[in-house]
Amino acid sequence: MVARGGSFRGAVPASGGSLTTKLFEINWLLPTLVGVLGLVGVTMIFAATDGVWRYGALQHFVRVGFGALVMLAIALIDIRIWYRLAYPAYIIGLLMLIGVEVFGVEVNGSVRWLDLGVARLQPSEVMKPAIVLALARYYHDLPSDRVSHIIGLLGALILLALPMALILRQPDLGTTLLLGTTGVVVVYLAGISWRVIGFASLFAAVGIPLFFKYGLKAYQQERVLTFLDPTRDPAGASYHITQSKIALGSGGVNGKGFMRGTQRQGEYVPENRTDFIFTVIGEEFGLIGGLLTMGLYMAVIGVCVWLSLQCKEMFAKLLILGLTTTFTLYIFINLGMVMGLAPVVGVPLPLISYGGTVILAVMGGFGLILSAHLYRGVELPRSG
Amino acid sequence: MIGDRPMPPISSQNTPDKNQITRRTFALGAGGIGVFGVLAARLYQLQVLQAENYRTLSDNNRFNFNMLLPERGEIRDRFGVPLARNSQNFRLVMIPERTTEIEKTLDRVSRISPISPRQRERIEKDIRQNPKFVPILVKDNIDWETFSALNMRLHALPGIVSEAGQGRTYPENGVFSHVLGYIGRAGSRDIEEDSDPLLKQPTFRIGKTGVEAAQEKTLRGASGKLKVEVNARGRIVREWPDPATRATPGKDVWLTLDAELQEFAAKQFATEDEGDDSGGICVIDVITGELRTLLSMPAFDANLFVSGLTQSDMDRMNNDPKRPQYNKVIAGGYPPASTFKMAVMLAALESNLINPAKPVFCSGKLRLGNRTFHCWKRQGHGKVDMRDALKQSCDTYFYEISQVLGIDAIANVARRLGLGRLYDISIGGGIAGIVPTEEWKRQRLGTGWRTGDTLNASIGQGFVLATPLQLAVMTARIANTIEAVMPQLVIGQTLPNFEPLDFDPAHLAFVRDAMWSVTSEPGGTAYRPNPFGTDPSVKGMELAGKTGTGQVRGISMAERASGIRSNSKLPWKLRDHSIFVGFAPYDRPRFAVGTIVEHGGSGAKRAADISRAVLGEALRRDGLGDASAADTGALK
Repeated sequence: MVARGGSFRGAVPASGGSLTTKLFEINWLLPTLVGVLGLVGVTMIFAATDGVWRYGALQHFVRVGFGALVMLAIALIDIRIWYRLAYPAYIIGLLMLIGVEVFGVEVNGSVRWLDLGVARLQPSEVMKPAIVLALARYYHDLPSDRVSHIIGLLGALILLALPMALILRQPDLGTTLLLGTTGVVVVYLAGISWRVIGFASLFAAVGIPLFFKYGLKAYQQERVLTFLDPTRDPAGASYHITQSKIALGSGGVNGKGFMRGTQRQGEYVPENRTDFIFTVIGEEFGLIGGLLTMGLYMAVIGVCVWLSLQCKEMFAKLLILGLTTTFTLYIFINLGMVMGLAPVVGVPLPLISYGGTVILAVMGGFGLILSAHLYRGVELPRSG
Repeated sequence: MIGDRPMPPISSQNTPDKNQITRRTFALGAGGIGVFGVLAARLYQLQVLQAENYRTLSDNNRFNFNMLLPERGEIRDRFGVPLARNSQNFRLVMIPERTTEIEKTLDRVSRISPISPRQRERIEKDIRQNPKFVPILVKDNIDWETFSALNMRLHALPGIVSEAGQGRTYPENGVFSHVLGYIGRAGSRDIEEDSDPLLKQPTFRIGKTGVEAAQEKTLRGASGKLKVEVNARGRIVREWPDPATRATPGKDVWLTLDAELQEFAAKQFATEDEGDDSGGICVIDVITGELRTLLSMPAFDANLFVSGLTQSDMDRMNNDPKRPQYNKVIAGGYPPASTFKMAVMLAALESNLINPAKPVFCSGKLRLGNRTFHCWKRQGHGKVDMRDALKQSCDTYFYEISQVLGIDAIANVARRLGLGRLYDISIGGGIAGIVPTEEWKRQRLGTGWRTGDTLNASIGQGFVLATPLQLAVMTARIANTIEAVMPQLVIGQTLPNFEPLDFDPAHLAFVRDAMWSVTSEPGGTAYRPNPFGTDPSVKGMELAGKTGTGQVRGISMAERASGIRSNSKLPWKLRDHSIFVGFAPYDRPRFAVGTIVEHGGSGAKRAADISRAVLGEALRRDGLGDASAADTGALK
């Protein structure tokens, strides 16, 4: 599968070798941490579903396992293939988003799913790694002196704006913001000048209020407003946050014990198998469990940053850092939401929350990160 | 790092990028750590600093206190006979969340035990307004056969649960309905006035009228609590039994009434062809004021109100000219007619203005200005003194003396005898009646008092209104001599000491003697030897009393001229009210009675007959009769 004829620079890593050899050269710390987080997910879903395996824990376990295989398979594929697939992947993602627009399946009032017959797919999840691939390639190909040029900026803006607009229409505010922030981070890392950053900030200061007024659906506005002032709707929108905080707070330092969360047993926190699963961790394992989970995430992020530092090619660096950013943002938004610091937007806690596409997308992303690291010695072409 | 091997040369293009991207990576990394720090701090704040607070909130979520309904106290008569008791109430409830076919299920229930459109509407409203797990009452007070039939088919009725709950029954044939009242579901006004959360329980019932309402506090008891762990939808996860929070059952209320006497009295109102007569009777203990009978007729079945009145029941009751729901014995204001004459008489004696021995000539009428006031006896009584005037109920005599006394002196005595005031016998719904004075008329009608008004009042007509209860109290006070007896219905209710009656005992004795002559001397309007029959227990007992004929309409000149005043020939609605008050035994007063029979046949006979029978029965039941008979026997 990997083109053997590729020119390698230097001896890092040791020349080509068989797939088995490559398998040993993968940075195994990252898959281990990811696997541990996946198992934390299985445990917490098990608790959230009152100890019924078939209500999600089992599926999650299977998905993590399958995701691990996908991750390793992606990791073994030569970075040049991913480099070449960057734009096609982006375009496929874009087409799928348009497909959602046309054939999408409605769930809970928003159209996010594409029914492929065998499985349902969430194209916005596909778009998350795809946008990073596309932007990484875009900046890899773009001479550094053009990064802050108006044309250079415009290209990145278009790459970013198209999927964001389509996802916002579903409507899915959380993913839109996540995608946008990831894009901004990649653009920032690519070396955009501070002058442009200044202008963009100014633009955002004006644009965000306008966006709030005209770009958000009423229920999204309501969620944001409720976040700012939870008393607006104690039984409705802020119920989520309130019950979530009660679950966390009542857990205390040590937690109520595995399977002993009363908030969980009483089903007070909705969606605690998916987006609000951190409440189960916080309630049953307390501050200790919460901090350990956050520690695991920080370790994963740290390892990813460390891997990026070892890469030389712009594409590889931006790919790793962009994907890491997405992963980090998932965590920030989710934890912020659960702890009542961020609006309630539907963002899962990666690897722990129940949900198939997210796991595949996240683990696929780690596959790309591993691949970028594994093939860090490979020189990538630069197509203007 | 693996970078311990020699690095390849780096392209010039990438050089500035590499350092910049590393710098910016670290900057972002630092930011990321900062965010994690904020999140960790927030977690610390929630789980350590505010943990106590959230633990409480969590427990508030987790635990609910379900109310346990107390058993309602029973109501008994003076001998302990149950008048209102709790019974098994077989009922069907529906738990909407257990079925998807509410309509179909209700249709099926209806086939076995019909559900009226109104009930159906109520059920559907209850289902809409309550959470899906709350049991909604479908039918209650189901008889045993229907209940069994429904139970047999329960498997085909998804969502339906059969249960045997607490019901209320009034076993005494309806003769206590007015006194007891009935119970029902608390209305929005009840809930506003009473903050007891029990009232909001859909299966809880409170007293609506009568003793049930007035003694609500005693009868209700206190709710218990059951600590339950519930989930977000309010469904019970588990119970936490705690014996300290059981419901406190309500206390029984004992009435002074005698169930059998009440029943006996009700039977006396029966007529041969017109159903039960309409009216009221009150029997009161002249010493203690305890009411032995307090009956309004016709009776109605209070059980109907508990199980829910059908439209036809309601219509029948509302359209009945005898107004069965109306509590005539305490809320019916009637002209006391000639029974008021004792008050006028006593006022005359107290005033010292009238010499009771001095006769007045009755020509059958009295002219006052251009008005003529008639005596009931057209041809006149001739010369009558005070005693004879009461015995024969001569109106002219009272017309004459009342002009001397004036209305205010008469009213003063009437009030002291207990007329014109509302008695709180703790069943509510009574009226005060009217004892008119000059002041009263000015305020009420805005016109001055006229002598004619005094003349009308002197024979208990015109403005004077009294209830059977007030008439019984008046008679009891006359019989008691010393104390102003107050009526009492609920045993154990603390009454203030009776006030002194403050009439000259000799005057009262004179009045009693005149009342004795009415019933016990030939020529008296209610004369009958052996008034209580020849039963040895009451034989020889003497009755003292007074008849009254309450006019309900003006008597036309034509009628006077033709002499047709026979009541029985008039339509029911236009016949006179028949009134009697009395006490017995004459020599040792024990009970007093006040009876009114609406449009009650010829003159005062009907009320006098009923009163005699009931008083006799009261004496028989009291046992005093035995002792008295034994005494007289021994003396003989």
